[in-house]
This record gives sequence, structure tokens and C-alpha cells, in this order.
Amino acid sequence: MTQETRPSILKCEDLGVSYGAVPAVGRLDFDIRKGEFVAILGPSGCGKSSMLNVISGLRAPTRGRVHVKDQELFTPASKPPRLGYVFQSHRLLPWRTVRQNLEIALAASEVPRRDWEARIDEILSILHIAQFKDAWPMRLSGGQRQRVSIARALLVDPAYILMDEPLSTLDEVTARSLRQELTGICQRTDATVVFVTHSIREAVYLADRILILTRGPAEIFEDYTVPLERPRDYDDARISEVEADIVRRVQAPWGLSVEKEKAVA
Amino acid sequence: MTPLQKQGWAGLALLLLIPAWVLAASNTTFIEHPMIVVRELPPFLANPETWSNIGITLARVAAGLALGVVAGFVAAFVMTRSRFLGEVLGYYVTAALRTPSAIAAILALAIFKGSETGYALVVAFITFPYMAVGLRDGLANADRDLDEMSQVYHLGLLAQIRHVWAPYVAPFIFAALRNAHALAWKVIVVAEIFGAAKTGFGAKFEHAWSYMLMTEVHLWLLVFMVIVLFAEYGLIRQAEKFVFRWR
Repeated sequence: MTQETRPSILKCEDLGVSYGAVPAVGRLDFDIRKGEFVAILGPSGCGKSSMLNVISGLRAPTRGRVHVKDQELFTPASKPPRLGYVFQSHRLLPWRTVRQNLEIALAASEVPRRDWEARIDEILSILHIAQFKDAWPMRLSGGQRQRVSIARALLVDPAYILMDEPLSTLDEVTARSLRQELTGICQRTDATVVFVTHSIREAVYLADRILILTRGPAEIFEDYTVPLERPRDYDDARISEVEADIVRRVQAPWGLSVEKEKAVA
Repeated sequence: MTPLQKQGWAGLALLLLIPAWVLAASNTTFIEHPMIVVRELPPFLANPETWSNIGITLARVAAGLALGVVAGFVAAFVMTRSRFLGEVLGYYVTAALRTPSAIAAILALAIFKGSETGYALVVAFITFPYMAVGLRDGLANADRDLDEMSQVYHLGLLAQIRHVWAPYVAPFIFAALRNAHALAWKVIVVAEIFGAAKTGFGAKFEHAWSYMLMTEVHLWLLVFMVIVLFAEYGLIRQAEKFVFRWR
């Protein structure tokens, strides 16, 4: 099945968010299909968090519609979407063990209890953290905690997974290893992922498509299909070429200039 | 600190008390020599009346403290749910915090004529503001990130209370409980003395003091301290250790 013929998982139409008279999200229209890995790339303060709050079901939009699979969200009859969310910080409950953190998410997702053990064992072994099943989150490294957070997101049979800069707080070596694993896991589980990042290179390495946003209030400046086959190598020169291409494209809408970049450097 | 080290510090504290006690006993007429008190301890403890009086005071503290904890929880919950009630109740709670416990004891016992309800209400009135303020502060500082996570993963209200809010406010509850517990013991003795109780630790202490039975005064004081220390270190701190084992 080609990407175009796959069913739509998350569709936003004329989506807008305002706080009083202040618009945070201008107008967003996009459609994400089953199994797609879509990166959202935008400058700081452009309204990405507001957009995430809406597509995670936490906040109703001021304008427009959100559809998850066939169901429209934020209507009196609609149920909130079942999704996985990997936050910037792990947001695990520190007073519950790794297993208990996962069990709480499973219980809330109404997964039958008899399936818990097998599912937890499987997901932890996929993420190479099976040995930490009964550990307290405080005893784990930042990378291990984020792996548990990814495990929690994958475990609940989500319609889609939101990832909000999940690797930005990790050291580069850990982030590289997780990036590599993430692509493998998402392909293996056929997960639909919306990945917010500031890093153009990260977006190019991970995503099938990149939604490039304008400066706030956010609008889609370009829906960019990454012209690279998988598997990809993070240090590949072709990734650098695509990254340079995107930098060229966003210079004007993001207000970047060679002088400014030099000044920042 | 290892358990052995902790026991070492406790032993040292006890050892340091003995010379101070001996010194005080040899310089005043009101303090008995520790050896006399220790000699009288076995018959004192063998007397069923001792245990019955300890039990009565213990029951009054437990009832009052339980009432205070429940009232504190309700007050904190109401204060955090409604801004209007939070502001209004806040003044009452602050006033209750600053009310001298002896005055509260006299008033409550005058109203309830020294009944068991009166003792429980005195303890509850003095302890509930500590619980209310502690819990209110805990809820006010609740981790919004975890709150958001529990919404995203659709944790029901009970699951949120059990897995997110209760563990989050637990340190505040324990801190408040320790204060409330310490105060409850002090207040009950004052109430028993002022309330002219016939039974209970305060009544026996008052009786011994009136008749200048100084050994008995010391014995009651010793037993009182042992019970309070046991409740603090043997119960509350152990419960705290269990609840915070993840740290």
C-alpha cells in the first residue's frame, strides 16, 4: 500500500488557536496517514505547543476541525483520542517503578490485565531496557527514562504518537542512539508519529515528511517530503544536502540571514 | 545514615541524658534521682491501671487526630477548589493556627463539660489547621506536567488521585502530620488537666503533682515520652520511609 492510499489518522482543517485576541496558531491544514513519520519544524514561539495541545486533545481549537481516524474531536459526542505522548522531559511518576508506570497507562487504556505482562516485556526488550523493569525512574539515566517514556507511548495501541522534542535534553551520543532506534521501532510497529523538533538535521534523518511552520502565529509554510530512502545514516552527506536545502527555504520566512547566523555563532 | 548509626545516635542521646538528670536531681527537690525512678518502673508498668489510663489518652489523641486530619483534608480540598472559599476559609485557618491551645482546651471543655467529645474536638481544632495548610500548599504546588500527562493518557479521577496527586502531596501531608501529632499530645494533656478529667495521662499526672508524688510524676512523664517517641519514630517515620522508598 502506498502512503497516499493509506487511511488518514490525523487531519486538521483550518485549525486556529487564539488566547483572547492574541493568535497563537494562524491556520493549519494537514493530513497525516497511517505509518507516517511527520516532523514539525518551526522557530521558537511559533505556536507549536498550542498546536500540540489541540492535537493531543488537551485543548479545543478556537477555529477549525480535528479528525482522528473517522471521528471529529471536540464535539459533544466525541471521545478523546487514544494516543501516546513522549514529552520533552520523561514525565514518569517517580514514585512508581518502570513496570508500574507502564501498567498505569495500560489500565487507563483498558487493555486486558492478562496481556499486560507480555506486552510490557516485549516493549521493554525492544527498547533494550528489560533489565530495568522493576527499577525506580530516579535510578535510571536520562536516556533510559526517555526510553521508558517511548515504551509507554507505544504500549497503549495509540492512534498516533506525539513527540515533543523528546531528545533535546539528552547528550548527543544518547540522542544519536535513540534516533537510530526510533526509526527502526516506528517502522517495525507501523506507528504514526508527529515529531516536533528544532533540529533540521534530526527532522531530515527521522521523517518521511516535514511540515515547516512560519513564525508565529503558525501556518504551514511548506509540506516537505524528505527525498531520501531508508535506512539513513545521520552523518550521510545527502542528509547535509537536504538540511542545507531546508535552511535555504526557511531563511526568509524565519527571518534568518547569514549575518544573524554569524552573530549567533 | 545506616540503621546501626541511627541506633548509635539514639543511644548517645540517652547516655547524655543520664548525667544531666543526676545533676538536676542532686540540685533540686522536685526531680527524683534516676535510680529511684528506674526501681519503681517495673511495679508501675505491672499495674493494669497504668495501661488503662495510657489507653484512654491514646484513644482521645487518636480520635482527635483522626478528626483533625479529616477536617484538614476537607478544608484544604475546599480551599483549593474555590477561590472565594479559599480566601474566606484561609482567615479562619490562620486564626485557628494562632489560637493558644490552652484557651481552646478550656473553651471546648467548658462547652462539652469534659466529655469525650470535648477532648476529641480540642485535639481536632488544634491539629486541623496544620493538615489544612500543609495539604493546601501541596495541592497548590502540584506538578502540572504530571497532571497533563495523566490527562493525555486518560487516567480516571481515582487513578489520578491514587497515582499522581496523593504521592505528590505525601511529603506535605507527612510534614503536617508530624506537627499535628506532636501538638495533639501536648494539647490532650493540657485538656485533661484543665478538664478535671478522672482518667487519662493528664489526670494521673495532675493527681501525682497535687500530692507531691514526685516519683509517680517522673514515671508518667517517662512513659509519656516513650509513647510519643515510639509514635514518631516507630510509626510515622516508618510509614514515611515506606511511602518514600522510591527516593
